[in-house]
Amino acid sequence: MTIAWQDEQKRLTPDEVQSASFPLSRLGRRGYDEEHVRAFLREVERELVTLLNEKVSLWNEVERLRRRIIAGMKTSGDDGVLFGREDAHVHAVRILSNAQLTADRYVADAQAYSHRLTEEARSRRDEILAAAQQHADMVLAEAQSRAREAALATLNAPAPAQPMESDRSALKAELAYLRTFGEVYRTHLRAYTEGMLRSIAEWERSEAGAIEQASADAAGSFSLGQP
Amino acid sequence: MDARRLKDSFAKLTMHGDEVPLFFYSDLFIRHPELRDLFPVSMKTQRDHLMAALGKIITEVDRADELSGFLQGLGRDHRKFGTVAEHYGSVKDSLIETIAHFSGDAWTPELATEWMDAYSRIADLMVKAAKDDESTHPAFWQGTVLSCERMAFDISVLQVRPEPRLDFTPGQSVAIESPARPKLWRYYSIANAPRADGTLEFHVRLIDGGAVSMALTQLQAVGGLLRLGPPVGVLTLDASARSDILMVGGSTGLAPLKAMTEQLAKSPGARKVQLFFCARTADSLYDLRSLEKLAADHEWLTFVPVVTTEPRFDGEIGSVPDVVARSGTWSGHDVYLAGPTEMVRETSARLISTGTPRGRIHIEDFGWSEP
Repeated sequence: MTIAWQDEQKRLTPDEVQSASFPLSRLGRRGYDEEHVRAFLREVERELVTLLNEKVSLWNEVERLRRRIIAGMKTSGDDGVLFGREDAHVHAVRILSNAQLTADRYVADAQAYSHRLTEEARSRRDEILAAAQQHADMVLAEAQSRAREAALATLNAPAPAQPMESDRSALKAELAYLRTFGEVYRTHLRAYTEGMLRSIAEWERSEAGAIEQASADAAGSFSLGQP
Repeated sequence: MDARRLKDSFAKLTMHGDEVPLFFYSDLFIRHPELRDLFPVSMKTQRDHLMAALGKIITEVDRADELSGFLQGLGRDHRKFGTVAEHYGSVKDSLIETIAHFSGDAWTPELATEWMDAYSRIADLMVKAAKDDESTHPAFWQGTVLSCERMAFDISVLQVRPEPRLDFTPGQSVAIESPARPKLWRYYSIANAPRADGTLEFHVRLIDGGAVSMALTQLQAVGGLLRLGPPVGVLTLDASARSDILMVGGSTGLAPLKAMTEQLAKSPGARKVQLFFCARTADSLYDLRSLEKLAADHEWLTFVPVVTTEPRFDGEIGSVPDVVARSGTWSGHDVYLAGPTEMVRETSARLISTGTPRGRIHIEDFGWSEP
């Protein structure tokens, strides 16, 4: 929440650093790699949070000492001017707060990691799909062009003497087209199917491995679902 | 009550940023360790919400009418978290302690009274609203997952049976908590009109890094239990309206629109409905079969699937506002929009610029009751 960081004057907040965006440079112009800039901004944001927290901690400590000194002067303090019983609670609060911040950071890191993984998986999937689509288009185009060549070759064979012959040669050309088209397609389909079968075998192997690993883990300590 | 004084005092507090709610919760948990269990592991979002809610309350502290609606909603919302009346007293002690701590020399008995009075009025409104709610609603419903079907790469459809029966208006949403992610609640639209068996359908999109969506779609075994909050939301049909309807849903924004369409199918009137269902790519257009069947069964319903980035799609292609704008004149329609924020905003802006009155565009708004 930005509001929580606002001072009397407008100050730069960690959230603003985190969500800063810059216009892309024009095509052909040199610019910084976006991921590097993002990573650096994340680091700046973390540092800013740490500094702000430290600043407040120091402010608290100054306030506490000031109060103790005033209280000490009033009661011409005999017992512990610098650390009294009421401070113990504030210290406990501080310890718990630090523990909470650590927990928050763990959760945030885990979430960021999971975000990155799913994002990568998603874009990888898109790439694979696009490549497959492109490949399919290519196969189709290749089959068509090869078949056309075959048909042309048949047509360009020694000129037919009679009209009957021309019909036959057209049929032969079409046959050559279809046969070549079919062959090219079959070859690609075979390669594709073999690839799929290899993938399935790999999945099976890795799954078997994972199950073995899991049962080995389960035999040890099973702590899933524990906080 | 001295509103100026409370506002000044609060402004000084906010200078300390996240330290304030951090101190407050730590103080609360040290005094009442049993309250820790009511909160999630990570408290970051919680702290932001606390400060945002406090900020809103203090800003509007001298506008009691506007504020009371917000506070009543907040009180009702807190029932599902397990909040009971006596918790408000514990919160009061820690809140006053926190404000005193950060106010330094500015903390005087008068300022303390000012804050305590303000808190009491806030708490009274919340407690009363929660209490009134008890007679009509349980704090939460227990939901059994009957099935979880993966409909697209990242979208699953869940069928859930709530216990007891959960009454709602089509288009509304409920907050859901999964036992795999305790104390994290997320809103999901109910995707069906009320059924005889009372079951509810939810469309869950896997959000990158999303804690709850992942738990609902990946870890949630069928037969597992969920917690459901009370139905909320204003994206519902106006029974008295007679105009034709334009619906635009992006991705799982389809859910509330499907619920409303089913409702219209149960008591068809003269209203024609044009439903645009939009996704980035064709394989994200899930649930097409049931929608096409609905459109085939009802001649008042026109269903148009739209894809924004896939040039080979055999159907409408283009940005959502463009496709909607070039498909008809919508200035006389009641409009319902649901889906990604950006899509909703752009489509709404385009419709307004082409003559649809702002007041006829319905968009979901949970206001401040973000769980």
